[in-house]
Amino acid sequence: MPANVRNLLLRHAQIKQQGPARLASRDRDVAGDEIAPGLRYTEARMDWLQPPALIDAAFARMEPMHHDRLLHFDTETTGLAGGTGTRAFMIGAADWIDGRFRIRQLTITSMAAETAMLRTFAGWLSDDTVLVSYNGKCYDAPLLATRYRLARLANPLHGLAHLDLLHPVRRRWKGVWENCRLATAERQLIGVVREDDLPGAEAPAAWLTYLKGGSAANLRRVAHHNAQDLKSLAGVLIQLSNLGEIPPPRRVRKIT
Amino acid sequence: MNAQLDRYHAADSLVLRGPSDGRTLAQRLTKRYAARITGAFVVPGCEGSYAPLPDDLPVALAEALRSRGIDRLYSHQAQAWAAAQAGDHVAVVTPTASGKSLCYTLPVITAAMTQHAKALYLFPTKALAQDQVAELLELNQAGELGVKAFTFDGDTPGDARQAIRLHGDIVVSNPDMLHQAILPHHTKWAQFFENLRYVVIDEVHTYRGVFGSHVANVIRRLKRVCAFYGVRPQFILCSATIGNPKEHAEALIEDVVTAITESGAPTGDKHVLLWNPPVVNPDLGLRASARSQTNRIARLAIKSGMKTLVFAQSRTMVEVLTKYLKDVFDNDPRKPARIRAYRGGYLPKERRAAEREMRAGSIDGIVSTSALELGVDIGSLDVVVLNGYPGSVASTWQRFGRAGRRQQSALGVLVASSDPLDQYLVRHPEFFQGASPEHARIQSDQPLILLDHIRCAAFELPFIGEEMFGTEVAAPWLDVLAEEGVLHREGDRWEWIADSYPAIAVSLRSVADGNFVVVDRTNGRQTIIAEVDFSAVPVTLYEGAIHMIQSVPYQVERLDWDGRKAYVTRTHVDYYTDAIDYTKLKVLDCFDTSHAGCGQAHHGEVHVVRRVPGYKKIRFYSHENIGYGSVNLLDQELHTTAVWWQLAQDVLGAAFEDRQQALDGFLGAAYALHIVATVAVMAEARDLQKSVGSGDGAWFVSADINGRGQLRGVDGQPTTLAADAPFTPTVYLYDAFPGGIGQSEPLFDRREDLIAQSVTLIERCDCRAGCPGCVGPVLAADEETATTPKALALRVLALLVAL
Repeated sequence: MPANVRNLLLRHAQIKQQGPARLASRDRDVAGDEIAPGLRYTEARMDWLQPPALIDAAFARMEPMHHDRLLHFDTETTGLAGGTGTRAFMIGAADWIDGRFRIRQLTITSMAAETAMLRTFAGWLSDDTVLVSYNGKCYDAPLLATRYRLARLANPLHGLAHLDLLHPVRRRWKGVWENCRLATAERQLIGVVREDDLPGAEAPAAWLTYLKGGSAANLRRVAHHNAQDLKSLAGVLIQLSNLGEIPPPRRVRKIT
Repeated sequence: MNAQLDRYHAADSLVLRGPSDGRTLAQRLTKRYAARITGAFVVPGCEGSYAPLPDDLPVALAEALRSRGIDRLYSHQAQAWAAAQAGDHVAVVTPTASGKSLCYTLPVITAAMTQHAKALYLFPTKALAQDQVAELLELNQAGELGVKAFTFDGDTPGDARQAIRLHGDIVVSNPDMLHQAILPHHTKWAQFFENLRYVVIDEVHTYRGVFGSHVANVIRRLKRVCAFYGVRPQFILCSATIGNPKEHAEALIEDVVTAITESGAPTGDKHVLLWNPPVVNPDLGLRASARSQTNRIARLAIKSGMKTLVFAQSRTMVEVLTKYLKDVFDNDPRKPARIRAYRGGYLPKERRAAEREMRAGSIDGIVSTSALELGVDIGSLDVVVLNGYPGSVASTWQRFGRAGRRQQSALGVLVASSDPLDQYLVRHPEFFQGASPEHARIQSDQPLILLDHIRCAAFELPFIGEEMFGTEVAAPWLDVLAEEGVLHREGDRWEWIADSYPAIAVSLRSVADGNFVVVDRTNGRQTIIAEVDFSAVPVTLYEGAIHMIQSVPYQVERLDWDGRKAYVTRTHVDYYTDAIDYTKLKVLDCFDTSHAGCGQAHHGEVHVVRRVPGYKKIRFYSHENIGYGSVNLLDQELHTTAVWWQLAQDVLGAAFEDRQQALDGFLGAAYALHIVATVAVMAEARDLQKSVGSGDGAWFVSADINGRGQLRGVDGQPTTLAADAPFTPTVYLYDAFPGGIGQSEPLFDRREDLIAQSVTLIERCDCRAGCPGCVGPVLAADEETATTPKALALRVLALLVAL
């Protein structure tokens, strides 16, 4: 490319968006062990709620299932734009081990580690796994399907049972609560109030800052936020399972 | 009024009774209006050339064809079949209505039936896509072939998309959808891509200039995604007649194609008349309007029982001509309409209805814009009348191509407007008769377009190592994107990291988004009656405009620019409105300057403004100007780059007798420079524009009705300069691409060459005074003057030639 064309392009690029400053930071600590180059793994076990042995999934028109089949999961991504250009940089998953709550999180600190992350997550799933998510059917699962496809790996989520709690929550409480976001559901149903929570919308910037050599402080807060989401998922599920079948919303004819 | 009626009756005596064809009508017109016909020639028809249905066609498909009356192929269809079976990329270039679609339908359906192979069809418009699916469904039904074809466009509902991705054998879409919806979500189409065998691109002659350069880059991205899924689809391209079909097809797909250019479809003779409206005022040299002549010819043809298509140059003219014909043929509201208008801006439903009625033969006359130039299926026609020259030889033949039946002669009439180019053409029929169709050109590596598509491609799949994009190594471009912050480089991979969806910000047609809807508020209604695209709004939907729909006039009462709505009410006025618009240029920044002979050449950034200051009210039939209205609209602005040449006042003073001469010289020089420059940077003429104005932006020049340079002030009104006012006329060539940087810099680099070539172009031209081949068309009066426009242009250029 001739130098003058390049200059013009750069000028054009500068007009479009002020280029990012280089942020060298000394705070580069990302939690967990490096289990593969660029892939961090954390695991924590905690006492959290008392799951009934059988989860009544009538609210989702499914048969009751043992709680040890459940895998709660939530991804943190580079944005909401959708399409092939959006990726997950963190996958959190939680399950019940001997009545205790186990949270496992995978975080990539380099792009190249994505394949290792996807492989590791696939290893956590088996044919009788029941996925639990909040809007995962429309967001996390299709996004991961795209990532597995791009990595030329089979999609391990394909065909698994999936309890997406957003829909029953909406059916039951839409118009009752101010909204049906997870933060609202956890406050209303299990009394969780978050402190110093990093808003989900700031997650992409937190990871990009770290990736470009900046501080890891906010990335650690993302992990914290993600862990709380998983705990809330479990709590909301237990509350829902106590409700039995939720009738479909009454059809109200709009009169205007 | 009576006199006018008599004239009409006189013309009606020419109406053909009994069986009528193009030849007879041409003869009658020639006899009666000999003085108006400046050229007449016949394009002889030809016998069809046929081939049997290929043996390797699946039996069920052959049966389906036979049941639809096709028991043999035209030779070009058979050639296309053979080339496709041999694995070649194919380009089919044959005239309108020659059965082009069978050239791709046969290999595509065969592959779907025998190998479950998929095909992607791309058409430039949604209407053509819907036509094609309807045709495929009919064939599929006739033979119970089990092949599933769907359109996939902006109107496809969300819940249908998943089914189409999984089950569509043939997905019919457009380049914009491929660019914005399919490629950025290619993983959802994984099964489709893994089995993709054919990519069919029809009407490739429309993919030229900026649009074509964009489409070529979308094809690069398509090939890149296909490679990811391990497939290398075969391309089948179709085009109307252009000067360089093979070269153009190869430029689009960047691969070798087998071109099939001999049509085997039979055609009847085609009679062509060039028609100049009669002089109505010999003192002023004024001619009757083209629209009155077009109206007369169309009326005669329809009364003679011939299916007639009229092409008009603007949407307004479509409505005016429709009204005139409806006044004659549709004055009984109890009977079904015989006349229809067809143009962009009607709701799709209305266009489909018009197409159906044309095919069924229940419509006798249709008036259209260029919308019908493409392959919309409207059945066979007998007569095509062009109200004005469409601007290119290729386009003219494409339009004439609409007329023609197998067994019968057809007629095409080109009615010249008062535009100097039209007048030149009808005075020099040999120019038209002998001219070869224009070349379609694209410039796929135009830096801004390339950068946009490398951006989109990086979103779709990461770039790795020394990967090429088209003919360019991608790395330097990726570095630019990394510096912008949308890509992250890690090792030899560039990965997309921004939270954005780049394809949304890139429009292939480089026009602002957002169609306007026209809302009828008559008697408290709130009905949407039309859509108008953004670029046409300033000249059609200003407050006070009469907006006609199927020749019913509505008045625009309020234009809600931000809400993209125009509110209209039904009205009964006896006039229509015609916007006055003009363009002016202002230099913002000069990047580079050099001497050019006795003057200077510059390269820099300019601001181009298109303004609609007002409109004229024109009475129906008499066409007298009965008033003006002012328009209060924001200017349409364009930031771009330009190259320009100037001569100092004293130099001009010494070389020309007066300022008018100098201005005329600059206009001619601009015309020649524009021709040379368009070829030099391989641009479409519309992507590179020319302008003549003052160096300080105080005034600009446009050619008036006599082809003379007319000074206009910043308000657009004709003006004159005080004798002592500064006078530095300037000729600009600017990139009509928003934010464009593609074309003007190479032009500046070649500035000496351009001037020298322009001089050669003019000197070598055979004309005496000037013509569309050199300094632009000139009026008859100028051909006799001592100081011809040609000489004046040469004088300007001579002053700019490098010393």
